[in-house]
Amino acid sequence: MIGHFDPKQHAKNAAHGKDLGTPFPPQALGTALVNLEIDGVTISVPEGTSVLRAAALADINIPKLCATDSLEPFGSCRLCAVQVEGRRGLPASCTTPVAEGMKVTTQNERLAKLRRNVMELYISDHPLDCLTCPANGDCELQDMAGSVGLREVRYGFEGENHLEAAKDESNPYFSFDPSKCIVCSRCVRACEEVQGTFALTIDGRGFDSKVSAGQDEAFMDSDCVSCGACVQACPTATLMENSVIDHGVPDRSVVTTCAYCGVGCSFEAQMKGDKLVRMVPYKGGDANHGHSCVKGRFAFGYATHPDRLTTPMIRESIDQPWREASWEEAIGFAASRLKAIQAEHGRESIGGITSSRCTNEETYLVQKLIRAAFGNNNTDTCARVCHSPTGYGLKTTLGESAGTQTFDSVMKADAIIVIGANPTDAHPVFGSLMRKRLRQGAKLIVADPRYIDLLKTPHLSEAQHLPLRPGTNVALINALGHVVVTEGLEDKAFVTKRCDTEAYQSWRDFIADPRHSPEASEMITGVPAEAVRQAARTYATAGNGAIYYGLGVTEHSQGSTMVMGIANLALATGNIGREGVGVNPLRGQNNVQGSCDMGSFPHELPGYQHVADPIARGRFEAAWGVTLDNEPGLRIPNMFDAAIEGSFKALYVQGEDIAQSDPNTQHVEAALRSLDCLIVQDIFLNETAKFAHVLLPGSSFLEKDGTFTNAERRINRVRKVMPAVAGKQDWEITQDLANALGYPMHYTHPSEIMDEIATLTPSFTGVSYAKLEEYGSLQWPCNDEHPQGMPTMHETTFPIGLGRFAITEYVATEERTNRRFPLLLTTGRILSQYNVGAQTRRTDNQQWHNEDVLELHPSDAELRGVHDGDWLGITSRSGQTVLRARLSERMQPGVVYTTFHHPGSGANVITTDNSDWATNCPEYKVTAVQVEKVSQPSAWQQRFSAFDQAQKKHLAKAQQEAP
Amino acid sequence: MSTNNDANLIRMTNQIATNLGGGRDEETAAAAVCRHLETFWARPMKQRLVANLALEGIEFSPLARRATTLLAAKLSEQQSITR
Repeated sequence: MIGHFDPKQHAKNAAHGKDLGTPFPPQALGTALVNLEIDGVTISVPEGTSVLRAAALADINIPKLCATDSLEPFGSCRLCAVQVEGRRGLPASCTTPVAEGMKVTTQNERLAKLRRNVMELYISDHPLDCLTCPANGDCELQDMAGSVGLREVRYGFEGENHLEAAKDESNPYFSFDPSKCIVCSRCVRACEEVQGTFALTIDGRGFDSKVSAGQDEAFMDSDCVSCGACVQACPTATLMENSVIDHGVPDRSVVTTCAYCGVGCSFEAQMKGDKLVRMVPYKGGDANHGHSCVKGRFAFGYATHPDRLTTPMIRESIDQPWREASWEEAIGFAASRLKAIQAEHGRESIGGITSSRCTNEETYLVQKLIRAAFGNNNTDTCARVCHSPTGYGLKTTLGESAGTQTFDSVMKADAIIVIGANPTDAHPVFGSLMRKRLRQGAKLIVADPRYIDLLKTPHLSEAQHLPLRPGTNVALINALGHVVVTEGLEDKAFVTKRCDTEAYQSWRDFIADPRHSPEASEMITGVPAEAVRQAARTYATAGNGAIYYGLGVTEHSQGSTMVMGIANLALATGNIGREGVGVNPLRGQNNVQGSCDMGSFPHELPGYQHVADPIARGRFEAAWGVTLDNEPGLRIPNMFDAAIEGSFKALYVQGEDIAQSDPNTQHVEAALRSLDCLIVQDIFLNETAKFAHVLLPGSSFLEKDGTFTNAERRINRVRKVMPAVAGKQDWEITQDLANALGYPMHYTHPSEIMDEIATLTPSFTGVSYAKLEEYGSLQWPCNDEHPQGMPTMHETTFPIGLGRFAITEYVATEERTNRRFPLLLTTGRILSQYNVGAQTRRTDNQQWHNEDVLELHPSDAELRGVHDGDWLGITSRSGQTVLRARLSERMQPGVVYTTFHHPGSGANVITTDNSDWATNCPEYKVTAVQVEKVSQPSAWQQRFSAFDQAQKKHLAKAQQEAP
Repeated sequence: MSTNNDANLIRMTNQIATNLGGGRDEETAAAAVCRHLETFWARPMKQRLVANLALEGIEFSPLARRATTLLAAKLSEQQSITR
């Protein structure tokens, strides 16, 4: 591929490059314009703007230290003092709002003297090791000393000082060197205002003041979540990335999009040559506005980890060692295998899985390969096992398979319901934004079996927790709907105008039935009726009611029903179609929204166009030059079943680890072992790859161009910052495979793939790389009607015309507790690890979570004689695994919890084949189990360990034998 | 053909019937279930499901059976068109 040099990629957007000192004024102000004069220049700015910001906008740069435009003004350093005509003294410009007719002087002899004196005091207690300091060249203190013209320190350095203060190097990613601290409080304020964790404080008073994590603890022992906001805010070398200490200040940067969760944060990848030195969240990023979490900011080391696959590998069978091959040989081997299998077993005997981690362009290409070159619709994606019920449920009720809002919309919400989501761990940057809104007074209702961290938000009052039993979501949402209808809390005007009358009447009759009352469902959900009534009233009457939900909604046997129940509730209360409200799925993977949009599902072409629709299919057939199958293909669980019975023989998997992430591991393993040809394209030898015949080394997000689409439908650019480790970006590999199969593909850059997508997908017709450069990001639909995209959906009409209420009868899951399996297991995520952990386990994030544990309530533990740290055998109808116990009051009695970030944990050995009725999304969240003390790993774990060792040896052998 | 897979397809159909059955008369519900199978199921799955109608001792729920019968009629109609 020819590498195009695009100068725009390498230039920071100037509008976001400069620190204006204080943030844009709050929305309440910021409307009327105020005129003032600064150093004789007339300036017009919104009411509420600080003098410091107004001056900076006119490129009059007042010296500052404690002020930065990501934080509220604080007025502590006194460096930004100015003189205002007619006012006494020298006020700090950061805390002085502009006023009509104000005349400000920013530079004169008096101010210069004051600033030099201030700096002199700072420097009298600061090490003078600038040349060897890691912040050399990137230090605001150094800049300010230069700016104010400091030439001497009259006080000497002999007096009492902090120069010998001990460093805190407990955090693996950054160091805290208090000897360099100027106590500007930027770190403390960032922790409070931006992250919302309140882990940092200023301890002591006056000269003794110092920054302290927790109650004078080491950073790692405190509440610190290592988001890095403090490091970014620090104007000196006090809080500094270890990577900068090790490698020096970066010299260039490229704006790109994070490849972890569905928030899709924009980052500046700051580089030195080909070396990524640090990731700094990009202020101009519309999803994150300059904030990040521990994964996005720090956990990028996996990209250069020695485990990265760098050479294609092939083998005849999975008990054989690998053999390194050239790209040409490996692709040829894969293609000939696929052709031979189709010749013997038929066109429908092969299929593929697109990656929710790869770009839109790459996903599009894989499904195109399957539909056009394989000649069937056996394509699916990770969304099958996470948010496929969202697609079904929202399309049925609202007409579009996506969330309705922007993330920023939460800042206008008055009541927030969070159901089956854990935003502070799984979507941390959005979690921080939500916490900010909660601190401003929005009401919070959490429906979750666990007491999640969001409920522990500082300064949160009146939080309502509805601790329901796993598997009873629909009973709860129906009870909420029942209260809305029977207590007259509906928005009748909205329903009359915007919703289908017949469907509404049926739903109303259904939901008003006393069997849905909170009193009746209390027996099922375990949530007190009065709490449900209170929650319904809060949501319906607070003003703007917004619902956020996650996999705790979708990963159930009634996942789709629950999504429709949520949509019913939003429709009935008129909480759709404006900012501050909506139905908001918090999508898991970086591009799971995109992979759905790009036609990864077996029944839908890109843009959710059904394969049986002759007009839509005709357009694709004309563009692709083939006849397409008009019947849906197999979904992932269907592929497994077909593989085991022998009708499905080959699978091409791009960037997904089904052997670890999919439920009932032993069933998945049996399916993978039955395949005659498994082609895995990944950056590591993941669990699935251990069953593969062809290994194609993929590229990380740092090594490719493309786009990701986040949970708010925002299409963001991914930009290549370093060459692909194995030589090819993922789309190039797919293209090579297509060509080898005899289906020609000749793209030279992902932008050409996007251009093709735009011609075939009605909601993407206005999307192009040029436009993404212009606007930064675009929220689809982006077409002639909405040339700049659509931040809030369904404002005046639904894609299906009128909103459709759905009947949502509660049906208990077949997965029930009994005497043999008396506990319910539910699974989830934690902050430091990501999904199957393939990336985060290869970083220092391991220091927070190096094994999956089983959380259980102390009363369940006591009953079984279990103590914290004991080995526990967990047995379900599917299998058994062994994990260490952690006693936790977050759990309710009868419910146990674990994560699946480590393959050897075998969390999915226990989960079952049960799935959502509409989409086959697995029921990860409800498994009946028994727990008992054991002394050794389970039989599966012992087999896993042996197989793992053997496969790693096969790989190592190939790598040793390579010429 | 594995009976396991057949049992699974029938179980899935019953599940769909239970969830789409509420608030509708049986005819509309059967049409809705049939439509769901047509929209989301792969060709071999539909064929396998329909083949089970003729077998004895298969535990279709009444609504699932009615919907599957409807699906069978549609499939044979399609086949006669293609012929």
